[in-house]
Amino acid sequence: MSFWEYLGNRHQQLLTDAFQHVSAVFQCMVIATVLGVLIGVAGYRSGWGGSLAVTSTATILTIPSLAAIGLLIPLVGLGVPPTVIALTLYGLLPVVRNSIVGLRGVDPSLVDAATGIGMSRIARLCRVELPLAWPPILTGIRVSTQMLMGIAAIAAYASGPGLGNEIFRGIASLGSANAINQVLAGTLGIVVLALLFDAAYVLLGRLTIPRGIRV
Amino acid sequence: MSPSHQAPGGRGVPGTRPPGEHDVGGQAFRDEEEYPSPVPAGPPRRITWRKLVPVPLALAAILALTYLWITGVHLDSIARNSLDDGNVRLRVWQHIRLTAVSTFWVLVIAIPLGIALTRRRLRRGAPVVTAVANVGQATPAIGLLALLVIWLGIGPSTAIIGMVIYAVLPVLSNTVAGLRSIDPTLVEAARGIGMSGVGVLAKVELPLAVPLILAGVRTALVLNVGTATLATFGGGGGLGDLITSGIQTQRMPVLVLGSVLTVVLALLVDWMASLVEVSLTPRGLEAP
Repeated sequence: MSFWEYLGNRHQQLLTDAFQHVSAVFQCMVIATVLGVLIGVAGYRSGWGGSLAVTSTATILTIPSLAAIGLLIPLVGLGVPPTVIALTLYGLLPVVRNSIVGLRGVDPSLVDAATGIGMSRIARLCRVELPLAWPPILTGIRVSTQMLMGIAAIAAYASGPGLGNEIFRGIASLGSANAINQVLAGTLGIVVLALLFDAAYVLLGRLTIPRGIRV
Repeated sequence: MSPSHQAPGGRGVPGTRPPGEHDVGGQAFRDEEEYPSPVPAGPPRRITWRKLVPVPLALAAILALTYLWITGVHLDSIARNSLDDGNVRLRVWQHIRLTAVSTFWVLVIAIPLGIALTRRRLRRGAPVVTAVANVGQATPAIGLLALLVIWLGIGPSTAIIGMVIYAVLPVLSNTVAGLRSIDPTLVEAARGIGMSGVGVLAKVELPLAVPLILAGVRTALVLNVGTATLATFGGGGGLGDLITSGIQTQRMPVLVLGSVLTVVLALLVDWMASLVEVSLTPRGLEAP
């Protein structure tokens, strides 16, 4: 069976896997973004708080994903829970680091000006600092998403959802006629989805980065 | 130069010379026989206790706790088979070897190639490499490895080829970016005083790029420790073997030991690479 015939025959299964892959990565990315920005907001003012946040998330990133999933299985079992926890944890680092860098990079005179016209701490954060720090945060989200696409593939080994299942089915049936089709479909599918995600982020940047600071 | 080492002839205020120095007509003189010159204080130590101690201590504690837990739980024959002393040692050793060999090849390929791509003649190739690196970043490591296994058959060398391909791109694009970020006026000045192309590369560009190359070594090591866990899917052995057999046979002690050893190895490698990074960076390029 050629690759195209394989795609035609199995498109139902492949589309389901692709949809689950995207939805798992997207949902985890939303959680990671919210958590990451909150951690960044909590840590960017204090020197040690910021470095603690960056060091601890960097430590998580150093851990190989298969080992992290392996450690989660005894705690939460197989399937979706370890996948979601692992993806969220790995997604945190770039977002946390970039929100701290971005928030620290905001020109202090602008924050002063905001205080001067009577804005509260919350208003300053939401209307001045976060919009100005948004481009680096968005870059962090892009980097995280690319990484999570690959980690989600590995999570399929712990019965997680997504296109990784296609790759592991191929590995399990090494030597059979369909092995290469399965692996190719899974791998290329993930590459295509990752590039689509990237394009979506470029678009999101166009729509959400304030006009005044657009490059 | 710090004021305490002010050279004779400096504009020190008379009467404020360090002990052993006279002021003669505004110049400093020293009686070397009576008062040997003070040994200049060395630069601050770069490897401090805070960088040296906590990580190995924490890792040792994790290993000790895992050992205690493993000896405490009941192991059936399947688990005992996988955790047989020789097997664990073999997997750790395989993992280290996979990481070391693949890192070696990554550096041998990526750094010279990065240097070549920043030379004038090949500079046009750099955007291509960046584009390939971006697509490569989107490729899942496990998919790449599986394709190679189908193409080249199973075995450690397939795993190593996959790991090298996967890690070459980030190190390569880092090297190119770093060599490019060198201030062009420095290169121009070096050319201006008559240095040859090779001289500029060896005496100006490479020393300035050392921190970056070291960062590349660290990136490669950390990436490779991670992808080496996937070598098991290509019959390459390594600690991934313990993890996958733990998942397949549902033996939690095997799974946990495999995972803990992988985590400890990854953090240890990262820690050692960070020490090397700190101690080999040229003094002049240290962050103030």
